[in-house]
Amino acid sequence: MTPDLSVEIAGVKFKNPILTASGTCGYGEELADLFSLSHLGGIVTKSITVEPREGHPPPRTAEADSGMLNAIGLANVGVDRFIDEKLRFLEKHDTVVVVNVAGARLQDYIDVCARLDDCPRADMVELNFSCPNVDWGMEIAKSPTRAEQAVREINKVFSRPVIAKLSPNVSDISEIARACEAGGAAAVSLINTLVGMAVDIDTRRPRLTNNTGGLSGPAIKPVALAMIHQVYGSVKTPVIGIGGVMTWRDAVEFFLCGASAVQIGTALFVESDAPVKITAGLKKYLSRNKIRNISELVGKLRKY
Amino acid sequence: MSRIVVENLNIIKKTDLGRDNYVIDLAPFSKAGAVKPGRFIHVKIPRTDVFFRRAFSVYDINPGEKSISIIFKVLGRGTALLAGLRNGDSLSVLGPLGNGFNLPSTRETAILAAGGIGMPPIYLLAKKLLEKRFDKTKLLFFYGGASGADLVDIRRIKKLGLKLLPATEDGTLGFKGVVTDAIRDKIATADGKFRIYACGPEGMLKAVDRLAGELRMPGQLSLEAPMPCGLGVCLGCIRPLAAGGYTRVCREGPVYNIGEVLL
Ligand SMILES: Cc1cc2nc3c(=O)[nH]c(=O)nc-3n(C[C@H](O)[C@H](O)[C@H](O)COP(=O)(O)OP(=O)(O)OC[C@H]3O[C@@H](n4cnc5c(N)ncnc54)[C@H](O)[C@@H]3O)c2cc1C
Ligand SMILES: Cc1cc2nc3c(=O)[nH]c(=O)nc-3n(C[C@H](O)[C@H](O)[C@H](O)COP(=O)(O)O)c2cc1C
Ligand code: FES
Repeated sequence: MTPDLSVEIAGVKFKNPILTASGTCGYGEELADLFSLSHLGGIVTKSITVEPREGHPPPRTAEADSGMLNAIGLANVGVDRFIDEKLRFLEKHDTVVVVNVAGARLQDYIDVCARLDDCPRADMVELNFSCPNVDWGMEIAKSPTRAEQAVREINKVFSRPVIAKLSPNVSDISEIARACEAGGAAAVSLINTLVGMAVDIDTRRPRLTNNTGGLSGPAIKPVALAMIHQVYGSVKTPVIGIGGVMTWRDAVEFFLCGASAVQIGTALFVESDAPVKITAGLKKYLSRNKIRNISELVGKLRKY
Repeated sequence: MSRIVVENLNIIKKTDLGRDNYVIDLAPFSKAGAVKPGRFIHVKIPRTDVFFRRAFSVYDINPGEKSISIIFKVLGRGTALLAGLRNGDSLSVLGPLGNGFNLPSTRETAILAAGGIGMPPIYLLAKKLLEKRFDKTKLLFFYGGASGADLVDIRRIKKLGLKLLPATEDGTLGFKGVVTDAIRDKIATADGKFRIYACGPEGMLKAVDRLAGELRMPGQLSLEAPMPCGLGVCLGCIRPLAAGGYTRVCREGPVYNIGEVLL
């Protein structure tokens, strides 16, 4: 019996539950030098905004213990070039394309998503309500009413499934998840990065020009698991898990806590072929444990 | 076939060059034959408390043995851990990465300017040129450092049999002064026949960029930036371009034309 790794989320079929996370795989071109993108269940693009953005001045990344800080500042090519160039490239690959969208105000999200609606290979959008690195990023992320309204309005202009990506930098992430679900989110993905800081004691300066940045990598995995577990228990929409996944073992923990699929982010910087290895590892794990389909693991934590 | 690979390589030889500098030879690297001078590898430090890979220019290649060599200087945690490794230890290597140098035309004289631990890609460029039967007399290899002892692995450079012109600030070896002054001393005017290639500390690259601009000498510089991914996906290794905007040093670089990047 070869185990079935495929999953279906909001009617979209993924050949396996391993996606690459926004901002850690560009628009796919570079990773394609290393392995075929058809190995991926899906690819989530860098956040796309209405206009191109250069992002924050360097240094905008810093090494941390078991992870890193980034304050890239949503550098991206803008929606026009994304559609003309980057999506053209992605279209050629047999993998689900999830376009991550960010904006300064709700209208920006609506404008970008309306443009993407005309591109059939933008299979899904993921709304980045949660970027901690731009001063306007958190408006929607922190308010349940705004989050709900935003998802509802965006659903009117984008006819395919909408994923809401949630920030951990809030007091109650389940509340925001429920609001996004009420607004019509087909799935929620979590977590984005945690606000953090690092200081160079010789120069006495923060290591990032933005002062603070988003912490990612193995350092945040326990936080991600706890939040996924919590959100899984409070919404019916599928949960996509993100945060510090490096190995197939990590991925299994995420599935057990309730993730239907997993995104690989920072791991790509250190083990660039991690998605390929993780999928292979999962397949073996399922075989060994006589599990027919990966979805049988989702949320199957045993109670004490 | 993949253009970039992640492979576990064995340390087949480690040489202590003194003053915290080491050469290590790694094999087997399936892309050994595909490494252009100026390209680099990204090395995973085999300890979990050093999170990012560390970038090292490819110093030497032996395609027959599928081996590549790097030189490194111990600067911090990552390189200190590398220095503690032994023959037979294994290292995860991502590469080859970056763009590499454009070769000069046979009509030009190539000025190779290396500074301190920036020597490796310049050495490999010289070696490649000689393999391509580039005229030895048209290769001037300037190598600068604070003191004679900072000029690493001079023996290997000398074996190439080209003109080596050391420059040391304390005058212990060769020209007394910095590399750019040594170059100025040697060539008063460029008159279109020269092409310069440089890799070294930031201050030296700035001086080379200025000198080449003054002399209207074309050429290329190999730059550094801290590199989280080395692949072009994290957007962390950026530097500002003279024409505006940023460039990813790991992907569009690390080799840039004179004047292209704001130094
Ligand atoms: C394309 C490229 C090629 C390189 N080639 C070589 C080479 O052939 N030989 C060699 O010895 N070194 C090379 N370097 C520099 C090397 O990557 C750094 O010395 C190394 O990352 C330091 O790691 P560490 O953990 O020992 O130091 P850390 O603990 O990270 O830092 C120690 C010191 O090094 C500085 N530093 C950290 N990372 C870099 C970096 N990427 N560039 C410059 N300074 C840095 C820090 O600011 C600090 O002052 C290259 C760098 C790049 C980007
Ligand atoms: C360098 C970098 C850039 C990122 N850019 C984005 C982005 O543009 N949009 C977004 O929604 N998330 C972005 N993220 C967050 C990741 O998608 C992911 O949610 C987070 O890093 C946690 O997962 P990880 O620990 O596996 O990296 C970025 C993360 C990193 C490290
Ligand atoms: S190191 Fe990540 S983009 Fe260059």
